Amino acid sequence: MIRFLVRRLPVIALVLVAASMIAFLLPRLMPGDPAAAVAGPDATPEQITQVRHDLGLDRPVVEQYVVWIKGLFTGDLGQSLQYRRPVAELVGTRLESTVELAIAALIFMVIIGVGIGLIAGSTRAAWLRSAIDSVNTLLLAMPGFLVGLLMVLLFGIYFRVLPTSGEVPLSENPEIGVQYLILPALALALAPASGIARLVQTSMRAVRQQDFVDLAMAKGVPPRRIATRHVLRNSLGPALVAIGIRFGDLLAGAVVIEAIFARNGLGQLAVSSAQTADYPVVQVLIVGAVLIAVAAQLLTEIGLARLDPRVRLE
Amino acid sequence: MSTPPTAKRRNQTLLRYARAFRSPRGIIGAGTLLALVVVALAAPLIGPGGYDQQTSQTLVGASGQHLFGTDELGRDILVRTVYGLRTDLSLILTAVPVSLVIGTLMGLSGAVSKALGALTQRLLDIILGFPGLVLGVIIVMIIGQGWWALFFALVFAGLPGFGRMARAGLLSEQDRDYVLAARVLGVSTGRRIRRHILPNIVDPLLVQTAIFMVVAIFIEAGLSIVGLGIEPPAPSLGAMLNVGARYATTHPSYVLGPGMVLLLLALSFTLLSDALNEAAIKR
Repeated sequence: MIRFLVRRLPVIALVLVAASMIAFLLPRLMPGDPAAAVAGPDATPEQITQVRHDLGLDRPVVEQYVVWIKGLFTGDLGQSLQYRRPVAELVGTRLESTVELAIAALIFMVIIGVGIGLIAGSTRAAWLRSAIDSVNTLLLAMPGFLVGLLMVLLFGIYFRVLPTSGEVPLSENPEIGVQYLILPALALALAPASGIARLVQTSMRAVRQQDFVDLAMAKGVPPRRIATRHVLRNSLGPALVAIGIRFGDLLAGAVVIEAIFARNGLGQLAVSSAQTADYPVVQVLIVGAVLIAVAAQLLTEIGLARLDPRVRLE
Repeated sequence: MSTPPTAKRRNQTLLRYARAFRSPRGIIGAGTLLALVVVALAAPLIGPGGYDQQTSQTLVGASGQHLFGTDELGRDILVRTVYGLRTDLSLILTAVPVSLVIGTLMGLSGAVSKALGALTQRLLDIILGFPGLVLGVIIVMIIGQGWWALFFALVFAGLPGFGRMARAGLLSEQDRDYVLAARVLGVSTGRRIRRHILPNIVDPLLVQTAIFMVVAIFIEAGLSIVGLGIEPPAPSLGAMLNVGARYATTHPSYVLGPGMVLLLLALSFTLLSDALNEAAIKR
């Protein structure tokens, strides 16, 4: 396992270093002078020079990069141009909203995906299988934002049982917070869940052909137990990979879902910062997003290696 | 001397893809796409006043005069949807082929030298590490919002998929005996790729192209819904959903109109990719 991790390390390090360099170079690639942007529209040339010096923008680029990276590791993430507040504080206030949404969506994705896959993969009723198949096909073609918009229409106009706009942090009021979380999390989870259901279903069908299933049946193991202990367990590999890969998509999708359900999360922060050229915020969010995406990929590979020893030996 | 066999082979290839459009999925997918393209081309006939013709009738519901109603500036939503479809088609039909060509070249670069192949693979790894929307945010910050930012976001987002597919084809074919034989005979790298490698990866690349068209439609919509898409007053399907979402509960047709067209567009490419896939497997 350790050797497996060590082999993956160079690529991961490369991606992270590249992400940090791109994030660092961003204000230098943007049109306009970052110092002038920080100093504000009414600044005199002397003030701009002063700001440039204060920010260290007049020092060599490599030195600036090292200072910036040190800041990332020590928690000094810089100052937002738009809000005039520390970036760490801004991210902190928005973090809970996005983390709650992502975790709730992940839970829905796993339960719905594996659950439906298990039903479709073990049922003998043809009508049920084809019903699940058609719903899956439809959901796969529907991106999260369309599901979200349809939910806003349905629940905002016809069934006013759940709120479709705004949010309440779970830490403040768990009962109401959950109500605000259900629809956006479902919108985010349904499409990837149908993909996972399909994977579980196909790999269960393949595993069922294997000899050890016949053996278990011959031994007289109850069908339900065969489905869960023997078939499902050996069918989870591809689904696990898909869950890991789709977690990255989930976070990207969260940005759009936040916009539709008017949630004030990190996605909204990223968008408004990009629109106002608030580069210190965007820099931190880029590094964070890539870090999480890479971590999700790595966790997936570890999980896969644990499930299937062949992956480790490869 | 070599022309007749090549022409014959080209005909066979075309025939094979023609067969893809004989399946029900192929017919429905191609038909829907064709209809959408015709409608997009006919935009000036449907809305002679252009997409920004404002009237005093703001936010009128669906009626015979305005099939999808009017928006907050009194513009006909159907007309704007058709022009928005035009924007979407112009984006994906240019960005996806560009991404296909660059990605394939990157994937095949390993044939020139091992080091170059390894280098481009690492480059693709890096691009893959960036979630699509983050790529979009970076590009918007550097070159500003608009058609070109969406174009580059789509090109970059497609590279890892096309590149890996081309490389997989290269790796599986280049050690086959007949390719090695060609190499020993002194056939040039370019010719080896054209004659021996490319024909073997055309099928998966075509399927991937159709699949990525759908992804591209959704990336455009995603970036536009959060407000990083095309700049108003120009419409795109995603940009209309961005504003429409605000009026969703009072004017459902503002979301349903462009949303339906977007779904049709995505569905046509999904069906096409299925049909192409079937045709490729049958071979």
